Amino acid sequence: MWQFFHKLASPKFFYDFSSRLIFWLAIVTIILMASGLYMGLVEAPPDYQQKDSYRIMFIHVPAAWMSMFVYMVMAITGAINLIWRIKLADIISMSCAPLGASFTFLALVTGSIWGKPMWGTWWVWDARLTSELILLFLYLGYMALRASIEDKTNASRAAAVLALVGVVNIPIIHYSVEWWNTLHQGPTVTKFDKPSIHTSMLIPLLLMAFAFKTYFVSVLLVRTRTELLVREFRSSWARKELSK
Amino acid sequence: MNPKRKKRLIYVVLIVAGVGAAAALMVTAFQQNMMYFITPTEIAAGAVQQGRSIRLGGVVSEGSLRRENDGLTVHFKVTDNANEVPVRYKGILPDLFREGQGIIAIGKVTADNLFVADEVLAKHDENYMPPEVMEALEKSGAKSPHKPEAK
Amino acid sequence: MHRPSTFQACKSLLKRDLLLAFRHRGELANPLLFFVIVVSLFPLGIGPEANTLSTIAPGILWVAALLAALLSLETIFRSDFDDGSLEQMLLSPHPAAVLVAVKVFVHWLVSGVPLILLSPLLGVLLQIPEESMLILVVSLTLGTPILSLVGSIGVALTVGLRRGGLLLSLLVLPLYTPVLIFGASAVTNAAFDLPVAAQLYFLAALCVLSITLAPIATAAALRISAD
Repeated sequence: MWQFFHKLASPKFFYDFSSRLIFWLAIVTIILMASGLYMGLVEAPPDYQQKDSYRIMFIHVPAAWMSMFVYMVMAITGAINLIWRIKLADIISMSCAPLGASFTFLALVTGSIWGKPMWGTWWVWDARLTSELILLFLYLGYMALRASIEDKTNASRAAAVLALVGVVNIPIIHYSVEWWNTLHQGPTVTKFDKPSIHTSMLIPLLLMAFAFKTYFVSVLLVRTRTELLVREFRSSWARKELSK
Repeated sequence: MNPKRKKRLIYVVLIVAGVGAAAALMVTAFQQNMMYFITPTEIAAGAVQQGRSIRLGGVVSEGSLRRENDGLTVHFKVTDNANEVPVRYKGILPDLFREGQGIIAIGKVTADNLFVADEVLAKHDENYMPPEVMEALEKSGAKSPHKPEAK
Repeated sequence: MHRPSTFQACKSLLKRDLLLAFRHRGELANPLLFFVIVVSLFPLGIGPEANTLSTIAPGILWVAALLAALLSLETIFRSDFDDGSLEQMLLSPHPAAVLVAVKVFVHWLVSGVPLILLSPLLGVLLQIPEESMLILVVSLTLGTPILSLVGSIGVALTVGLRRGGLLLSLLVLPLYTPVLIFGASAVTNAAFDLPVAAQLYFLAALCVLSITLAPIATAAALRISAD
């Protein structure tokens, strides 16, 4: 078991191993996404109150879930790099940032499109929207910090510290924003007490959530492989790979 | 215990104490009264300054919605099940606006206790289900569609 | 050879930093002046109507405090980094986090405290009701240390960069949002005669948490930057 992880951390083994993985992940992603979209957009019945508008949920909700998940991956791999100095962990962490930022952006845009007919406005300073926006800023800050430090090792470690500070802060930001929101919202507004959802809508939602996960992993692998080649271009295996 | 270890122990204890104190303070914060909104009752009691922009939260009273002839200006009442406040709003109401729906209105209270709204926001609930299921639920009386939950 | 204890080291660092700050009085006054000017620009932009001003005053004061703190942040480590004394500090046998905490404390003394003292005056200009003046001061007292502490992490990360200023604001401002939210809402609530204990407790919690953890993160970031 441990031996496998040790092997995985070696760039050459990872490069070979991931090439096979990407192929299968891509197929799984396509199947999941196609079936999820079909069930969600065609088969699932319209909502009793929101009619067809709610269907944007099948993109919006998985994207919002991913925005948090990717940040966690980014911070954890950053910590691994900080503690054990594993280069591969750093490359993964680095590849996460733009992906996470894109998911966050997607969640914000779809939420905004959803909000127009439902709430009557493109944007409300709702707790979730606001904390999602700040999360986007955190991603952008992470990317900006990395881009402005020239030395790659220093950049990776500084970025990891920032990501970890962000991990401590995200729950605080989330709570503060949620609380700040209740200061203004009406007391009798029906709240997110028990999010109940009918099975016919839950299944496509879960399918889409898994599709987003596998999509993320496969794109992450592609990005990681490219960055690996860039960083290891002097080593013999990378040269062999490049001259193919 | 050698002095170096002792020192390290002191730092660890300090960190744990700091985090613990912060957690305790946060728990205390959460136990505090969180009623921070303006309710119709508060307006009825005259607790709100006139001409001050506020956010009013509540439920649209059943049977109170009335449209003026220009087709844009609407009148309705917002209630918190104890008091009602009449609201006037000129503009397009959001899709989810209906009687019995929880809304937030941003505006000012005028001299005759009328609330003039500049903006009306409706909140959707987090129940997603097909219309048939909703009907069935309503028939069985398990759930009334627009029952506001006091929060 | 006599080796000073960590406590002694902190004391002499405190003295040195205070002396340095005192010698650069003009530099210290700049963020404060900025604070005053930004706050007095708002009535010009929005109009002198007292009602409007008093509604948005807590937000203006807190945002201006955030920006002023941001401007003064660089002074925590910049000159020490440039002349190499920061490296000496990191090489010393004393825990870097403790020394960092002392430096941040000095920064708060010379940038945060004057801002707190000045705030009631600006509050009067912005028509903040008298009842919320005390809360304004209390919330700033609890909040400004957080600004210095969290900001020190950002400075430590960017101090090695030639043009770190803009990046610093990008890194630090999102992390400041909770302080802004609770600080401003405490003052707003006080004006409405609503309870403020929850916000103040939360600010206190954040303050204690950042006193405990921020120096550690800052020390780690400084090690990376000084590499």
